[in-house]
Amino acid sequence: MSVANNKDVIICEGVKKWFGDFQALKGVNATVKEQEVVVVIGPSGSGKSTFIRCINRLEAHQEGTIIVDGIELTNDVRNIDKIRSEVGMVFQQFNLFPHLTILDNIALAPLWVRKQPRGEVEEEAMALLERVGIPEQADKFPGQLSGGQQQRVAIARALAMKPKIMLFDEPTSALDPEMIKEVLDVMKELARSGMTMIVVTHEMGFAREVADRVLFFDYGLVVEEGTPDHFFENPQHDRTKLFLSQIL
Amino acid sequence: MVLLFFKILGGEASKNFARSDISFGFGWLGDPPGFSIREGIDLQPNSGIRALAVGGLNTLRVAFSGIVAATLLGTVIGVARLSKNFIVSKLASFYIETIRNVPLLLQMFFWQVLLQSRSSLTEESVGTKLFDVSNKGIASTWVFPSTGFWPWLLIMIGGYYLARKVARTRRKYQEDTGEDGHPGLFGFLTILGVAIVGWFVHPLLSFLSILWDGIGNLIGAVPAASVSLLIAGLAVAVAAIWIKRFLDTKRTPAGLGKLTDDDIFRMIFAGVSALVIVWIAFKVGGAIINKPDGTDASVAAVLRDGLANIFYWFGDKFTGEAGSPLAISRPVVEVRGTGGFIQYGTTGILATVAFASVWIAVTLYTAAFIAEIIRGGILAVAKGQTEASQALGLRRSQYLRLIVLPQAFRIILPPLGNQYLNLAKNTSLGTALAFGEIVAVGSTLMNQTGQSLPIVLVWMAFYLTLSLSLSGVVNYYNRRMALVER
Repeated sequence: MSVANNKDVIICEGVKKWFGDFQALKGVNATVKEQEVVVVIGPSGSGKSTFIRCINRLEAHQEGTIIVDGIELTNDVRNIDKIRSEVGMVFQQFNLFPHLTILDNIALAPLWVRKQPRGEVEEEAMALLERVGIPEQADKFPGQLSGGQQQRVAIARALAMKPKIMLFDEPTSALDPEMIKEVLDVMKELARSGMTMIVVTHEMGFAREVADRVLFFDYGLVVEEGTPDHFFENPQHDRTKLFLSQIL
Repeated sequence: MVLLFFKILGGEASKNFARSDISFGFGWLGDPPGFSIREGIDLQPNSGIRALAVGGLNTLRVAFSGIVAATLLGTVIGVARLSKNFIVSKLASFYIETIRNVPLLLQMFFWQVLLQSRSSLTEESVGTKLFDVSNKGIASTWVFPSTGFWPWLLIMIGGYYLARKVARTRRKYQEDTGEDGHPGLFGFLTILGVAIVGWFVHPLLSFLSILWDGIGNLIGAVPAASVSLLIAGLAVAVAAIWIKRFLDTKRTPAGLGKLTDDDIFRMIFAGVSALVIVWIAFKVGGAIINKPDGTDASVAAVLRDGLANIFYWFGDKFTGEAGSPLAISRPVVEVRGTGGFIQYGTTGILATVAFASVWIAVTLYTAAFIAEIIRGGILAVAKGQTEASQALGLRRSQYLRLIVLPQAFRIILPPLGNQYLNLAKNTSLGTALAFGEIVAVGSTLMNQTGQSLPIVLVWMAFYLTLSLSLSGVVNYYNRRMALVER
């Protein structure tokens, strides 16, 4: 599967971001093509989470440009709303709504943001639960599910808005080891279906198997990028080599 | 063991009472108390029990109006403290830190002194007012029930349920078709329509007076002796049902689970409480008191007649007379009596200096605590919930209504209940301002009759009932809001 000729859906140029005096992003340049799966890795504090949080404006960047699906991210609320309805996000801590049932968690945004009829929404929500493999949990509350199940619900919730792009912020870092696989399986299925994905993760196996491209972040910059083969077998930068030697 | 302890304690107490010539009984409940109360439903109560009722009602009045006002003010200040506007949030912090660090009694005195230092009413101030503050208190325009209010209220209750049904239908329409159904607007219009129609057609409900009188007759026909029996039976039944349901919660498929000492104590407590009520029902219920009209009757009969009278009174309100159910009443300043005293008239609503001081003080004081609880509740909703809502594209108003409020409410509710209880109990400080609430009335009664122990028992029973009712309501909502966890 080659995505080389697809058009760019995310274009970042010279993105800079400060938290007070601390500069988290020091001019990040990156593009993501349609249907491409990009895995972002790097040591903690390297700015990889901040980077993908800038893409749907959970954090505002201060310099540079981010263009998502032809829309530039500025302070214009209409642009932000438009981009957020096309970009789904999955968090490390799941962030499900604890007071709503699983079905309501998934149905909430289509009902209130897309204003779709409830019957239609619930049908789609059930279909999504089938897809992530837990339709029998529809009427339970998040507190009653295991971590892996909760993360799969969170993926279904993001998919319910029919996004063009999915962002994953360390989706398996808060999970027990035996639950990581069930979440990664769902993500692999999603990648195969042609979803454009940016995944921040420490799962190197996943990166090798699924990624079209790997970005290595350090000190707020993309230090190295390339195909998984290039990246894992033949890294160029000393920082990359050091990082890989520590985790592999 | 516990019972034995109380038995010994009771024995010792009665011996000591006998030695120091203190009598213990409830005869004073029926005797004229020999003092007047400055405000309330009856300024010259003719029996001890009536004096206590006046005091109790004054306590309830200031407690409930305080709870409503403190909740509203506390919410506003709590949200203001979270405001991004520097001045607003600093003002809110300043309010909270100042008010909650000054003793409540001092604050009551402060408002009393402030109000008393207002100028007195003079010849110039005679006339009709909208709102007036003087050293006689705060007088305000008020809306009172008027002709046909009760039938109209009945119609409004029906209208409320109709409006709920309409709103639900509209919401379903919105969910089915995706078009905006304006459920809130439709519900509001429905209740408005019912209110307007009911305003004119309420005389049609006059036939219901037969029903209310019938219920009154039915209650009045119950023999006085069976009233005590009825109360006793009810207490035993409630305790029995409570114990049964409590045991049911301990039942597992494998049979009854192991009961802890605490569980057993709870059941004993429920049983003993029922027995105490049975004892009081017969002991107090059989006591003969002197009624205002000079005849003697048992307490049980007075209670029964009181209940029946509520229905008769209600029946009298369904006259079928046309007129507006609500009347606006404005306060007047008038020259009263031969001495030429200038006073507020009986129209409008008047908060005396004592009432206003207690009310303002407990409201401001409790609002400071409630503000912190509200702020804490909103902050306690995890940051991740905000981000998830934003990532899904929810608007800020939707996020607040659908995500924050339901979660914050369940965090806020238990400590909010505590503050309500505190407020209700704090009103007893009003006794220092000679506000005629139940502690002040009870103290005076104590001086007059020398019956200290029974009056302390009445106080305890009153505050216990008030606290348990409040926490009962809060617990009910708390259970409904609780999150389902594994």
